[in-house]
Amino acid sequence: MKVAIASFAHTHAGSYADLLSGMPDIEVLSSDPDGAAAPDAGPRGAELASKFGVPYVDSYDELFAWGPDAVVVTSENALHRGLVERAAAVGAHVLCEKPLATEVADGEAMIAACEAAGVILMVAYPVRFAPSYGRLRAMVEAGRLGDVFAVVGTNNGKIPYDQRQWFTDAALAGGGALVDHTVHCADLIDGLTGGAEAVRVYAAANRVLHQDKGVSVETGGLVTITYDNGLLATIDCSWSMPDNGPTWGGVTLQVTGTNGSVEIAPFLQHVGGTNADGEVFLPVGGNLDALMLTEFLTAARASVPGSELVVPQPDGFVGLRTLRIVDAARRSALSGQPVDLP
Amino acid sequence: MGEPELAGVTVGLIGAGNIAHVHVAAWQALGARLLVHSHAGAAELAAEYGLEVADSLDALFAAVEFVDIVTPSATHKEITLAAIKAGRDVICEKPLTLTAADSRELSEAATAAGVRIYPAHVVRFFPEYVAAHEAVVAGKIGKVAVARFFRQASSPAERGWYRDVARSGGVIMDLMVHDLDQARWICGEVTSVYAVQSPPTVDGISPVNVAAHVTLTHEGGAISHLRATWGAGGTPFKTGFSIAGSSGLLEYASDQDTGFAEELQDNASTGDLLIPASTLFESPYLTQLRELAAALRGGPETRVVADDGIAAVYLAEAARESMETGRTVDMNTFTPGVSA
Repeated sequence: MKVAIASFAHTHAGSYADLLSGMPDIEVLSSDPDGAAAPDAGPRGAELASKFGVPYVDSYDELFAWGPDAVVVTSENALHRGLVERAAAVGAHVLCEKPLATEVADGEAMIAACEAAGVILMVAYPVRFAPSYGRLRAMVEAGRLGDVFAVVGTNNGKIPYDQRQWFTDAALAGGGALVDHTVHCADLIDGLTGGAEAVRVYAAANRVLHQDKGVSVETGGLVTITYDNGLLATIDCSWSMPDNGPTWGGVTLQVTGTNGSVEIAPFLQHVGGTNADGEVFLPVGGNLDALMLTEFLTAARASVPGSELVVPQPDGFVGLRTLRIVDAARRSALSGQPVDLP
Repeated sequence: MGEPELAGVTVGLIGAGNIAHVHVAAWQALGARLLVHSHAGAAELAAEYGLEVADSLDALFAAVEFVDIVTPSATHKEITLAAIKAGRDVICEKPLTLTAADSRELSEAATAAGVRIYPAHVVRFFPEYVAAHEAVVAGKIGKVAVARFFRQASSPAERGWYRDVARSGGVIMDLMVHDLDQARWICGEVTSVYAVQSPPTVDGISPVNVAAHVTLTHEGGAISHLRATWGAGGTPFKTGFSIAGSSGLLEYASDQDTGFAEELQDNASTGDLLIPASTLFESPYLTQLRELAAALRGGPETRVVADDGIAAVYLAEAARESMETGRTVDMNTFTPGVSA
């Protein structure tokens, strides 16, 4: 099976390259033509591909002409659509980095393109594959929490600034923390509700954190969502893990029902302590990217031309529902009032 | 100059419900003499702790130096006004009253009568919240950016007057009012309020199991989120916060790092679900009543004054307005009871 990696703009490209190149029966080819122009300190393009140990071509034309069976899109958020449409055009299944796109219309077009081509569109939400989330979801589905009526999610991390500056470029990222970090928790909630639609979204955002770096996008945000099934949820998406924090950050989801509550923290399991550098945090969780890639590739293998499409989750529709929340949150943060969704 | 002597002070306790027990223990530890008057339960409380019973409010007022009101929220206004009329200083359980207008009326009446009223916002005396406040004021985390506060308890609405929003104010006025005060104390004055409750209150009756989420914006640019939950019966009382600033992060959860972990098989502690057992050096209720009583006897001004109680109630009213209208409430123009 031939799997292409389109762009190294997203830092997750390294993880996918590493995992894919270690899998039997997978051929990998990569391209990162925009890398040379990026204002990042580290290597991009052919040099980074060689660091990852994956073959490289200089242009997307060559990448798609190679005839990939599947494409992993890890570009800047605003460039997802073009690459997904090119992948669909060559009949390749797609795993697209989150968020699906920066504009709702782009997300809709990507879903339409993949549907028309009969290919998979999966969105890279790896936290869905955390064992703690699986347990939570099974408990909710078995009714052990009773009726779930409120959720608080947090996705607080370090600002992804040093490695890739486009994360704080509104044009390429679609915004700041609201865009980068709301969607993971929104995806987890989507999975618990079976795809409930947001009907009202309120967001407060500010730029108090990381002003020393001259960041112009929002660095802090609180997003409150009311869903069509009555569920209330708030997501703290702030880049609020200090630069010298012992770990990159984490995700939590606190879910309350009429029979009690469950709180998960999928990145919390670790060995702690202290060394010469300060606090020690040795994470002991498994590799969620590996579980997610396996889900994608298993579905892609089964979805050969002529057979029925196996749709892995989270799919493009989850990506679109969570993108709608982000888009409404951006508009709410600007207006100061909640935004109602049709 | 030392603290005023409190031993031997005569305090009038009005009310004999849940929180009365905690206050009685604190007053007795401070060496106060207690008279109690209550609509119900005064004799039992007096018998349990060896207190004296006053048969009427007037008899109580005549016999005490000041009063401590621990009655249901909807009765605070009337009782406080009576105490003010009798010329007695007042310590009143939170919320001060159920509307900011009523709270202001009390404050003005007290000023006119030359007496003082203190709202018992006890969380300002919990050492974890004090430590966070002091660290923020000292600039230890830079400028406050994003804060979260939460507070959950086994729902009291399964019984008693709490479910009747006209009497308790609901989960925001009754439970979140602590964190509305904390958010203001730690993050600064509030400029806007957005609130959602799930499930919503219908016809003035709160759901038994309910969560309220409130987002505040503050002068100076901070934003904060508050969650208050009346959980399923048996839900352990739990509070916490996360305060992110431009140069640091402060986090606390009341079930973590308590310094006491119990693992008993038979006869395990069950505890009080509304007022949990503590491993603190001193009860924050005692710290609070000592500071308020000392101020009433000529000591230094307290960390919480009537205006703070008014502000907390005002924020709770704004939250209710936001829940009802589905809109953000601008605190520069908000007038309770008048929709924008």
